[in-house]
Amino acid sequence: MAVTLAACGSADSPGGSPTGSDDGDQVTITFAWWGSDTRQQITEEVIAAFEAEYPHITVEPDFTSWDSYFERLNVAAAGGSLPDVITQQERFLAEYASRGLLADLRELDIATDKIDPSVIESGEVDGAFVGIATGVSSHALVADPAIFAEAGVDLPDDATWSWDDYEAVATAIAEGSGGTYAGVQNYSFLEVVLKIMARQNGEEVFTEDGELGVSAETVEAWFQRSVDLMEAGAEPSASVSTEVNAAGVEGSLPATGQGAMAWFWSNQLDAIQSAAGRDLQLLRPPGEADGVRTGAYLYPTMYYSVAESSPHPEEAALFVDFLINSTTAGELILVDRGLPSNTEVREAILPLLSDADRVGADFVAAIEDTIVDGTPVPPVGAGETTQITQRVNSDVLFGRITPREAAERWLDEVGAAIS
Amino acid sequence: MTALNELRTMRRKRGEPKIAAVSDLRKSDQRAALAFLAPWFLGLFGITLIPLVASLALSTTDYDLLTSPTFIGLDNFTAMLTDTRLHESLRVTFLYVVTGVPLQLVVALGLAVLLNRGLRGMTFYRSVFYLPSLLGSSVAIAILWRQVFGEEGLFNAFLGLFGIQGMGWVSHPDTALWTLVLLHVWTFGSPMIIFLAGLRQIPEMYYEAASLDGASPWRQFRSVTLPLLSPIVFFNLVMQVIIAFQAFTQAFVVSNGTGGPSDSTLFYTLYLYQEGFTNLRMGYAAAMAWVLVLIVLVLTAINFWASKFWVFYED
Repeated sequence: MAVTLAACGSADSPGGSPTGSDDGDQVTITFAWWGSDTRQQITEEVIAAFEAEYPHITVEPDFTSWDSYFERLNVAAAGGSLPDVITQQERFLAEYASRGLLADLRELDIATDKIDPSVIESGEVDGAFVGIATGVSSHALVADPAIFAEAGVDLPDDATWSWDDYEAVATAIAEGSGGTYAGVQNYSFLEVVLKIMARQNGEEVFTEDGELGVSAETVEAWFQRSVDLMEAGAEPSASVSTEVNAAGVEGSLPATGQGAMAWFWSNQLDAIQSAAGRDLQLLRPPGEADGVRTGAYLYPTMYYSVAESSPHPEEAALFVDFLINSTTAGELILVDRGLPSNTEVREAILPLLSDADRVGADFVAAIEDTIVDGTPVPPVGAGETTQITQRVNSDVLFGRITPREAAERWLDEVGAAIS
Repeated sequence: MTALNELRTMRRKRGEPKIAAVSDLRKSDQRAALAFLAPWFLGLFGITLIPLVASLALSTTDYDLLTSPTFIGLDNFTAMLTDTRLHESLRVTFLYVVTGVPLQLVVALGLAVLLNRGLRGMTFYRSVFYLPSLLGSSVAIAILWRQVFGEEGLFNAFLGLFGIQGMGWVSHPDTALWTLVLLHVWTFGSPMIIFLAGLRQIPEMYYEAASLDGASPWRQFRSVTLPLLSPIVFFNLVMQVIIAFQAFTQAFVVSNGTGGPSDSTLFYTLYLYQEGFTNLRMGYAAAMAWVLVLIVLVLTAINFWASKFWVFYED
């Protein structure tokens, strides 16, 4: 009892006297994550709950904004001082794993029996289980029914609509509202929609072997559609699109009430809806019914990884296990890190969700049946894809290159980045 | 040194004891001196010299930050010859320096001349005009710039008053760089203060003589002010070219770190940062840094050489 109390005391004051003989078993681990102030508050509550349950472990928080997270992590890796528990992201998972920086979670004591096998697979690189998905979300169109109504356009049947319907709906909104509202926000600053289109064509942007698997025709069609929409007035002008893209979730067209639709992750609906101040909807991607196959997929929002260099892998594993499998943690985190990958935790938190989050959760549940498989972990170097996509998309939107040339350049540059 | 010599002579004349030479200082004084210098030495070695040498070494390696560097000789440097983004970043940076620096110096000189007229409340105006320089390279101003020159920004609202349809100045590749040039020109404070100090050094008698000869104010400016001020102009030019080449924050913030739209604001330093920290090519980034040093060195040398033809030293 005395030992426990002493340990408790030092858990509350990290860095407390290292000479005390009672806290010889006291272990400190570091946990790194990115995100907003809200996430920071939530996470600190989770840490407090964990420390209450495991008094001999102290968790040192280490968080930054998304913009500088990986730059900082890269520098920490260079200095050999990676945090024990790392929040990872799809694009950098292989980058870190291939360099032996991440521990194989199978060798650590983390329960995975409540997690869908396809979600587990999404964290495997070369056979090693290097990241456990925190949760999932799916790419969708956030739609504002009020703008649809004002423009006199019916909401499409999203189970059957095609890409041509998508173009027609977006154009009808711009025309129906006399140009007051844009039909849809430009989608080609990010490669996610391309991934969906490629899968609908039976292709995959990055294949299982870590190579480019998308044809120039698909990439061209993807750019072409966004240019067509812009020229038809259904998408804003190139420079407005550039600004809207930089303005993030809160500055998106549905959030500011300037446009009827925009592509986002299903778990972002809550943030967009609160910025918009009115109820929004989620629509499935077009082209799911008439493609070679469906393109939608469950995206692992983030991963937890344990650093190979961690001096306390067991304690780090305990913490990851708590984050993923404990209902206490789940009830604090809710869907902040995606719809929980642990299905039991998912059930437990459903009644606690806000309306918008509930819509997002229902959307994922409904679309899950149509999903064929997950997407392979992107190869080393894929982290550059975002930069390349933004650049090439700017050039297309401002008319400096044709969609055909854009497709060639995109394939060249992404190909060079991952080679 | 001359002041010390004068003091020595004075004391000798007055029959006072000699001032102790440095070597006579007591040991404890030396230790104290070392203690006071230590922070500077630590900084010099820890923050400047050692990283400098390390980056020179890294520039010859393939280094991804996550694993140990491997030696590849001059491959990083030869790769630069075919790197089109690097060439684009050089074009953007040169354009920025070549337009931004002269414009800024003209504005700085113009205001310095105005402020030198001994208006009432001069110190107040001087502070006000210096203010942008304190703020100019800050993140806050860069964010403000994005707002002012955005699609719905203040600048377009102003144009709207005259019925002119504006555009997204920061988000269009044809105009984005010019908003940054404008931001640079706006931070004319420090060259202005230096010009002002220089103007104060020009003896009043030259102007008196010139006006007795019937020289117009413009003529006086051209034939008296400019030649006598030319060493100061030269100093400002050299300094500002060096500073402008290292511009980073403005482009980073205004373009959200992308150097966009379409690489139109991709400053050399921004590209270097992207390569090193985002794309994990630290060896290449280190090589780029040394090429930047070389470019600035060469430009400064050219500046010094060219100064022979237009800088006028009084003695």
